[in-house]
Amino acid sequence: MDRQAFIEHILDHYEHPRNRGRLEDATVQLGGGNPGCGDLITIYLKIGPDDRIERATFEGEGCTISQAGGSIITEMIEGMTLDEVKALGTQTMIEEMGEEVVKSRVRCATLALGTAQAAIDEYRKSRDRAEVSAATDRAETPSS
Amino acid sequence: MVATETRQEQGGYAHAEVLVSTEWVAQHLNDPKVRIVESDEDILLYDVGHIPGAVKLDWHTDLQDPVERDFIDKAGFEALMSRVGISNDTTVVFYGDKNNWYACYTFWLFKYYGHEDCRVMDGGRAKWEAEGRPFTKDVPSYPPTTYKAKDPDPKIRAFRDDVMAMLQSGKIEAGQAALVDVRSPQEYSGEVIHMIGYPQEGAQRAGHVKGARNIPWGKAANPDGTFKSPEELRALYESEGITPDKEVIAYCRIGERSSHTWFVLTYLLGYPNVRNYDGSWTEWGSMVNVPIEKNV
Repeated sequence: MDRQAFIEHILDHYEHPRNRGRLEDATVQLGGGNPGCGDLITIYLKIGPDDRIERATFEGEGCTISQAGGSIITEMIEGMTLDEVKALGTQTMIEEMGEEVVKSRVRCATLALGTAQAAIDEYRKSRDRAEVSAATDRAETPSS
Repeated sequence: MVATETRQEQGGYAHAEVLVSTEWVAQHLNDPKVRIVESDEDILLYDVGHIPGAVKLDWHTDLQDPVERDFIDKAGFEALMSRVGISNDTTVVFYGDKNNWYACYTFWLFKYYGHEDCRVMDGGRAKWEAEGRPFTKDVPSYPPTTYKAKDPDPKIRAFRDDVMAMLQSGKIEAGQAALVDVRSPQEYSGEVIHMIGYPQEGAQRAGHVKGARNIPWGKAANPDGTFKSPEELRALYESEGITPDKEVIAYCRIGERSSHTWFVLTYLLGYPNVRNYDGSWTEWGSMVNVPIEKNV
């Protein structure tokens, strides 16, 4: 795609965002932001028992690139495993949005991806804590 | 030049004619002597929608030299003016997002190349939108012009040697000159190198130029993006020793926030001797053997 095609791709996601809105049955939700430029994103993930993203949505406000990033990333990661999402990087967003367009706005472009990855970390930590807690409970329960 | 019935009920500004209202712009949308220019920090906002007839000037791709760290040269500026249909006698009205941050940056560059009639739409894009005024996606095309730029005006731009000369002259201590750092308090103190939330890069050291006072640029604007009253602005700057009798240099990180302060001091308060140091912190904070103060 040339520069104009990337711009149109970004604006399409900004003006017609996919997966925008709160996800009531989310497994995990997390907010992220670039306070300096006023970009805010909240990512909602519904994670299946096979560690796949069943549904991803976002809410937020801010610049065109950060909000288009929310739409692009939630569309991209549905169906991915958590490890696959964690393996995505800055380059993923640059390839999606065009290096020439977002090279001075990389932080905005990667806000949603970074927030989704942080949400996965949060989910895993929470799950690990629950498993440790359950194991502790089992160990402390007298056998009959 | 368009006759100055630019209202300015707000009055009291030193050069009130440079500030036009959204209503004034609405009444001049089809005025062939007026060209409306949108310059934003959010580089795609114009593409989302803009004031009918407005052209876009991107601070990064249109105003900067693609190789050297500098602005386009005189010939490049003339070519740019031709491309967007601006003649030497065109009244150019700038507006943009975030309190006209980049609109003032573009205004400053136009003045650097001597464009006579430059105005800023008070309140910028946010006020136009809040008032429910129209936006369009139609990108206008204007006949090319033959534009003759003036030589760059050294009276409004400071380079690193000018800042060093000011420091070494003793004028700051003598109350004859002042440096104003318009970045956030965290950048000024040296807690961070860039605004919080932005990549912490661009300078080798954190802090501020020795002797600079800190007045964040955004303090000059009201919550709706309009400029504060003359009385409020005078109190803001004079309370920090930035007074009209002094030679003043403003700086930030790359000179865009400080162009807003330069505009306020020069046009709204009428300070006669204000320069914008666009090398700013990304240059000063990376140079060897220059005085830096840090408060953390």
